[in-house]
Amino acid sequence: MSESSRLDAEACQNPLLDVSNIVAGYGATEVLHGVSLCVEAGEVVSLVGRNGAGKTTTLRSIVGNVVPTSGSVAFDGQDVTGLSPEETVRRNVAFVPEERRIFPDLTVAENLKVGQLGGGDTAESRDPEEVLEEFENLRDHPDRRGGALSGGEQQMLAIGRALVAGADLLLLDEPTEGLAPFVVRQVEDLVKNLNEEGIAVLLVEQNVEVALELADRHYVLDRGEIVYHGTSDQLRENEDVVDRHLGVSI
Amino acid sequence: MVGVTGVAEQLLNGLTIGMVYVLIAAGLSVIFGVMDVINFAHGELFALGAYFAFAIVAPLGGAGFWVALVVAPLLVGVLGAVIERVTLRPLYDRNPLYHILLTFGLVLMLNDVITFFWGKQPKAFSEPSILSGPVTVLGVSNSLYSYFIIAFGAVLSFGTWWALNNTRFGLVVRAGSQDREMVRNLGINIDRYYTLVFGAGAALAAVAGIVLGAYQNVNPGMGNSVIIPAFVIVVLGGLGSFRGAVVGGLGVGIIQTLARTYVPVLEGLIVFALMIGVLLVKPEGLFGTSTGEGHGESEGELLAGRGGGVLTDRQRFGLGAVVVALLAVVPLGVEVLYSEYVLTLLTDVLIWALFALSLDFVMGYAGLVSLGHALFYGTGAYASVLVLLHFTSSAFVALAAAVVVCAAIAWVIGYLSIRVSGVYFSMITLAFAQLFYRAVFKLEWTGGSDGLFGADVLYGIGGFAMELDEIAEMVPMVSEEGLFYYFLLATVVGSYLVARQIMKAPFGSVLQSIRESERRTEFVGYDVTAYKRRAFVVSGAMAGLAGGLFAVESGFVAPSLLFWLNSGEVVVMTVLGGMGTLYGPMVGAGVYIGFEEVLASYTDQWQFFLGALFVLFVIALPRGLVSLPDKLVEAGAGGGRAGTSGGPGEAPSEEAEPLADGEVNE
Ligand SMILES: Nc1ncnc2c1ncn2[C@@H]1O[C@H](COP(=O)(O)OP(=O)(O)OP(=O)(O)O)[C@@H](O)[C@H]1O
Ligand SMILES: [Mg+2]
Repeated sequence: MSESSRLDAEACQNPLLDVSNIVAGYGATEVLHGVSLCVEAGEVVSLVGRNGAGKTTTLRSIVGNVVPTSGSVAFDGQDVTGLSPEETVRRNVAFVPEERRIFPDLTVAENLKVGQLGGGDTAESRDPEEVLEEFENLRDHPDRRGGALSGGEQQMLAIGRALVAGADLLLLDEPTEGLAPFVVRQVEDLVKNLNEEGIAVLLVEQNVEVALELADRHYVLDRGEIVYHGTSDQLRENEDVVDRHLGVSI
Repeated sequence: MVGVTGVAEQLLNGLTIGMVYVLIAAGLSVIFGVMDVINFAHGELFALGAYFAFAIVAPLGGAGFWVALVVAPLLVGVLGAVIERVTLRPLYDRNPLYHILLTFGLVLMLNDVITFFWGKQPKAFSEPSILSGPVTVLGVSNSLYSYFIIAFGAVLSFGTWWALNNTRFGLVVRAGSQDREMVRNLGINIDRYYTLVFGAGAALAAVAGIVLGAYQNVNPGMGNSVIIPAFVIVVLGGLGSFRGAVVGGLGVGIIQTLARTYVPVLEGLIVFALMIGVLLVKPEGLFGTSTGEGHGESEGELLAGRGGGVLTDRQRFGLGAVVVALLAVVPLGVEVLYSEYVLTLLTDVLIWALFALSLDFVMGYAGLVSLGHALFYGTGAYASVLVLLHFTSSAFVALAAAVVVCAAIAWVIGYLSIRVSGVYFSMITLAFAQLFYRAVFKLEWTGGSDGLFGADVLYGIGGFAMELDEIAEMVPMVSEEGLFYYFLLATVVGSYLVARQIMKAPFGSVLQSIRESERRTEFVGYDVTAYKRRAFVVSGAMAGLAGGLFAVESGFVAPSLLFWLNSGEVVVMTVLGGMGTLYGPMVGAGVYIGFEEVLASYTDQWQFFLGALFVLFVIALPRGLVSLPDKLVEAGAGGGRAGTSGGPGEAPSEEAEPLADGEVNE
């Protein structure tokens, strides 16, 4: 724990997101035992780990779906620990949860509209039409039901929906899960484009390939603890880390 | 042709009632969808609308109807908004069970307000004169008012539908009923929308009450009789689906009316059977989108009583022994220190204590909130009386029959319903119970609405059986009632000890682990469903025993034993005492009946105060009376344990402390 916080001190000079030593869980079960990580403005950072490692719980703690029992989360220098998700999100954090969670009975346009309503008055929200333009699969069918979209389309829509309200940081939970390889490429391209626009990304992935492709730095989470932190090059060289904590080889 | 116009006429009648249902169910469904609140008080709000209208029309006469149609819904809508603000708001992060409890308290309160102001006799107010009189359309004649209800209901439903689909407000409401947490994740403070949703739902119900009030009459039971069909409609159509409420409402109205005319045997049964059928095939209802699972959206856990803490196990055991000892000496004081009535009261308490214990077995330990436990209580009673009347006079055989029959029924119902979870399970158990309730009215051998009575009861088996008063003659100082009381006390204490033994066994540990985290238990490799079913069978058998004891004691049974209010009351007792501790619900039964008794001796309005107490209780002490010592100590220590900033549900606060294995039982 102390080691990882030392790493963070080195990792981020001026963190946009600063997660420090959070402990969180569900009811009696503690899932995160002191997780620290940070993201700089404009950076893409990955959080990788096996099934059940606590990746989703980490994101949920950042957003406020889960309230950490100790530790803190700061965004843009302000403490947001324990704020409700709506309050956190209104500070220009966009959250795309696991399984996308498109409103199945709302149309594509309506899904985006809900995202826009969430922006409030302060955020520099974007026009849903404009966002729609960026996604060619969706553009032509604004009236399709969300539930009728393919997995890739849903993922695009989920990202678009989270971004219409404007965002400095995008939290993405396994965006490529269950997608065909060529759709994975599309999602990767989208994330790259967004990053080029200046949006920082914290990417949760099980697919290490995707993480290496997109992110500059990586945190490896295992059983609720950050067990490794390094750049893409470092991670590639550390085959045993990948092997031991992720159960894959690269 | 007569047949055809006859059918058309019935269809129109069905449509009229159906439209009333639509107005009630629409609010109920949307409230559930968005807020996750199962609002049992919806029926009382409906009744209140009718009574307000009566109060307005009485002095104003015919034209007053139009005034009432505007003013009464507004009043009820405002009341609904207030109710949401004051009582529901503190509970959003909790399991829907607590809403059920809370709104159950509100039912008692509102119903009492109605009888306080307007009495128990039915009232009537009439439709405006321009709407009275029959009209004939295409050879079918019906009252003009009936057409008015259909048209007005249709316009209102369409308006609601339009608002849901064309306004920002409606968009958020629809999104929220599909995935509330996601709406929050997008930055929308959905709580702000709740007050309006609840108020609007209440107003729609009030409109339904008004139009139906002028069509039939206004009476204090109207809320109670409409709420269950309304739930059926909501569940049939899909919780949270407006379209479902419309289709379900019209469908149920028509089916009910047609059944009454053409297949009277099935009247009242068919709708419940339909609901059970639909739920089994399509648990999310006809137009529902999801069964509220998946997504890890936490429901908020059931708050088990905390038995540990201040008192040690040994102290609690001592306390229990003292209570039993005290109970045991009570009959000796009859006629000396107090009247026989005390014994009657305690007999009642003990029977309900056993009933509450049985519910706790599934609700407090396996997390299965059964809203139909009166089914087992009532069936146990019927089974016992039937055995006494037709086979043998032995109380023991009759009780054994109650246990066996209820265990068998519980097995079947458990098999069918445990596959659906959460609220759906509650609803399906409620439906089964109402099905049985209706059935005993219809059947010959259950005595219809009169019930059954006149059973002789002997204690013993075969040749060694005696009537209780004969035994009493041989025992000094104890009356016949006293003897039964001892028999009852022994049975209840015995059942408690058995339940305690089961909970201490590995079986019990698995159940508790299911309540804490179903996922984890499954992950570890237990067949969660099988465990739940077994628990349900034990629970049903125990509730059957309680019902059997009632029957053996009183010698009669009536359909009211199966009525849903009994199911509600037993849930109340269980939570009042503290579910998840075996003794808590038994304490709860005692306190509930005691309160009722004391309040009733002071005021006719006891129901109101009982309800109010209950509402306060659910808000302030959800872990039940057994957690009171802990709370007091906490408060004494300066309230230093203020909860964490209430995030949605999963915040691992102090409250979430599990029961460690050692402190589970007693
Ligand atoms: N709502 C919940 N209630 C109880 N326990 C949960 C809940 N959600 C997750 N858990 C548990 O917390 C642990 C971490 O889960 P989490 O979803 O954070 O892992 P993850 O790394 O995202 O896994 P995956 O790759 O499968 O998405 C797991 O053991 C899981 O069973
Ligand atoms: Mg995950």
